[in-house]
Amino acid sequence: MIIHLPFFPLLALAALTGAAALQLRRRRRQNGQADAQEPDWSAPVLDEAADRDSPFHRWDARLKIASLFIYCFLVVSLQTLTWAAAALAISIAAVMASRIPWSRPLRRLAAMSGFLTMFLIVVPLTAPAVPGETLIVLDPFSSLILHGEGLRLATLVVVKACAIALLMEPLLATAPLAVTLQALAALRLPNAICQMILLAHRYIHVLGHEARRMQRSMRLRGFAPRTDLATLRAYGNFLGMLFVRSFDRTQRVFEAMQSRGYRGAFPTWTTFAATPADWAKGAFWIIMGIILLTMDRLNLC
Amino acid sequence: MHDVPAGHPLPPRGLPLFQIRDLAFAYPDGTQALRGVDLTIHHADRIALVGHNGSGKTTLIKHLNGLLHPQHGTVLYKGEPVSGDNADQLRQEVGILFQDPDDQLFCNTVYEDVAFGPMNQGLPQPLVDERVQEALLAVDLADHAYKPPHNLSYGQRKRAALAAVLAMNPLVLVLDEPTANLDPRQVRQFARLLERFAGTLICITHDILFLQGLCDRAVVLVQGRVHHDYAFADLVAHPASLREHGLDFSFRLSCCGDGHHHANPEPRPQPAPGSGATGHGGVPSSAEAASSRIKIRPGSSAEGGTEKKALIELRRCSYAYPDGTRALREVSLAVRHGDRLALIGENGAGKSTLAGVLLGTLAADGEILFAGQQLDARARRRLWRKVGIVFQDAADQLFCPTCWEEVAFGPQRLGLDRQEVDKRVREALATVQLSGYEQRVPLNMSGGERKRLAIAAVLAMQPELLILDEPTAGLDPRGEELLLAILGHLPLTMILITHDLFFINALTERTVVMHRGRILRDYRTDDFLADDHLEEAIGLGYVYRNECRRPAVSAR
Repeated sequence: MIIHLPFFPLLALAALTGAAALQLRRRRRQNGQADAQEPDWSAPVLDEAADRDSPFHRWDARLKIASLFIYCFLVVSLQTLTWAAAALAISIAAVMASRIPWSRPLRRLAAMSGFLTMFLIVVPLTAPAVPGETLIVLDPFSSLILHGEGLRLATLVVVKACAIALLMEPLLATAPLAVTLQALAALRLPNAICQMILLAHRYIHVLGHEARRMQRSMRLRGFAPRTDLATLRAYGNFLGMLFVRSFDRTQRVFEAMQSRGYRGAFPTWTTFAATPADWAKGAFWIIMGIILLTMDRLNLC
Repeated sequence: MHDVPAGHPLPPRGLPLFQIRDLAFAYPDGTQALRGVDLTIHHADRIALVGHNGSGKTTLIKHLNGLLHPQHGTVLYKGEPVSGDNADQLRQEVGILFQDPDDQLFCNTVYEDVAFGPMNQGLPQPLVDERVQEALLAVDLADHAYKPPHNLSYGQRKRAALAAVLAMNPLVLVLDEPTANLDPRQVRQFARLLERFAGTLICITHDILFLQGLCDRAVVLVQGRVHHDYAFADLVAHPASLREHGLDFSFRLSCCGDGHHHANPEPRPQPAPGSGATGHGGVPSSAEAASSRIKIRPGSSAEGGTEKKALIELRRCSYAYPDGTRALREVSLAVRHGDRLALIGENGAGKSTLAGVLLGTLAADGEILFAGQQLDARARRRLWRKVGIVFQDAADQLFCPTCWEEVAFGPQRLGLDRQEVDKRVREALATVQLSGYEQRVPLNMSGGERKRLAIAAVLAMQPELLILDEPTAGLDPRGEELLLAILGHLPLTMILITHDLFFINALTERTVVMHRGRILRDYRTDDFLADDHLEEAIGLGYVYRNECRRPAVSAR
């Protein structure tokens, strides 16, 4: 079957939608500025919603990570759009149940949106033709043919990606980062990696500030990136200096840790004790994943 | 809580806390940081450890905490050599406050950071909780316990780092430049906290005036050796000796004009003819500047009578950061040709934001005029050609492998030919007294040299307006004096963002006071210095330190 769609009205619709989204965002930001009571903090952090209360917050972090991790693998294995959509609905319900502000998961999705949009455009255009599939022709560009099977495949990947990205919020933002990392250590992730993640989360902000200050000073001395050797040289110097400064800081931070008694491990009082309810929640998610996969494979819809 | 450090045993009566004998240490690159250091430290000593940049102070305190081990000589703590288990014990009892609080706050909340030390001491949870609460209360951060450190202001981070050390109830407190980059109110807060600390105090700072009243003993390090070890009063009583070691802060002190003949009791050494002490590029040496004394600012524009044209003007400019923080609120300011203006205010008052707007890096609401022309968004982005800034941390500004490339970076971007670039680089380096440094690596230079190099990198672009953000941060007195001489003779319109009232008095004729994003006062510097109501109005707590030297003399 061949469907003809007008390209320019579609493009105009997409542009209008984008413009409306930008306008909405700008308005919200302005309102935010007007309402702001000199907030104490500026940057989002990974566990800012960790002090709320929900079934996810009350869940043993080890079981939460292990079972949601398995569930995510089962979702990735889905092959039909219907059951992938069901997984997306479950993820939305999970975000709502975790009582996390929607701005966070939406920001996460927005970060992925560029790649996913490109995926949605490129795959339908480049997918191999399958006998009997629907073709969409964008008039007046008759050479622009979207393959129905390619569109289905791209949509499936996008829906699964969104389902899993949404689930990252209940997984990561419902316990303090330190507790999440201790749970990962309890699940046999090497302690050194856990400590590196913890320190990286703290120092990514410091490093970001340093990089921004250096970039600003370059800009104030007339640096404007071009496609020439001088630009490459300037970037090389910039990255080299950033690396040297980071290396020096690493040394100083390690000394500061040692001077306060660090002997290879972060001290903690967190102890994990899984209750029957925790095990039940874990079982629920794994069974849910198995049901989704079974229905998907049996093509029941 | 910190009046008497509890929980750590004191050494037996008569036994010193530290005995350092013939200590030597060299870094892997061959730099000999310490040579034959002999030092004895008793419980409750209050020591000012001073010396110019690179004299070995930081290396020495790292030995006191077991972070470095002696390559030669011995370090005894309570009579035992520092090694193995003893080093672990040492770290529980000797707390160091490092210069950069970001090095010391490595956890994800202030609470975790402050609890880190007590938890490593093996204390039970209730006691750790108690220690954390008390330490945060002492530094006035109890309300910020669960905030991520990167969301605190610099001053708050500095205090949080101090709380992290105090929570361990250390027997010995070592402070490395505790007051660097703090506003006067926070400096006083630090001083009050340290006055209450009854253990052994070792303080590294170039701020001799901060040390006065806090320390009773001074140890002067010169090229890795203990050059003097005497009463603190003796340190300040010998300007000639201070000058010899690059510690002479007395250029900051001048007579009030009431005929106190002892204000400068000892004449400064004059440079010998042809000794090279005279500055390049028409800038006198530091000694000459010092002898010319205090007010090296040009004639005040406010006093001049003739109204000058505004070089840059802001009209009702406001700026809010993306998180909603309103950093500027309807600010109007005119900077005239030749103005030398001081911009002051507490940390977070909006000074740096205002500088960002003047530089065109922050797009503020409101009008900006340059030389009478209103600037649109595109013209604002090109303000870098007219306005230069020297940042607080010179490291932010230096990214090239040699000094020549560093200074040439801006002129090259202006599209100048090779000869002109070379000429400007040579002139700029000469102006900041760095001639001959063309092939030196900026990374390996001292703090003072890097600061001057950053200034040269801006001067080479020949800006019409120069903004200096805390130019004296991290400099030793010798570096400060040289900087004063250089800045005092730059024929430029200048905005000085600083808490250093001596530099304000010496270099500027107009002072703008900011508070919570607004301009609170805009008056002559002399009026500002005579204004007793600032502290009352905004709690700035400036203490004008260029008082007549009489109090210091009588204190002796």
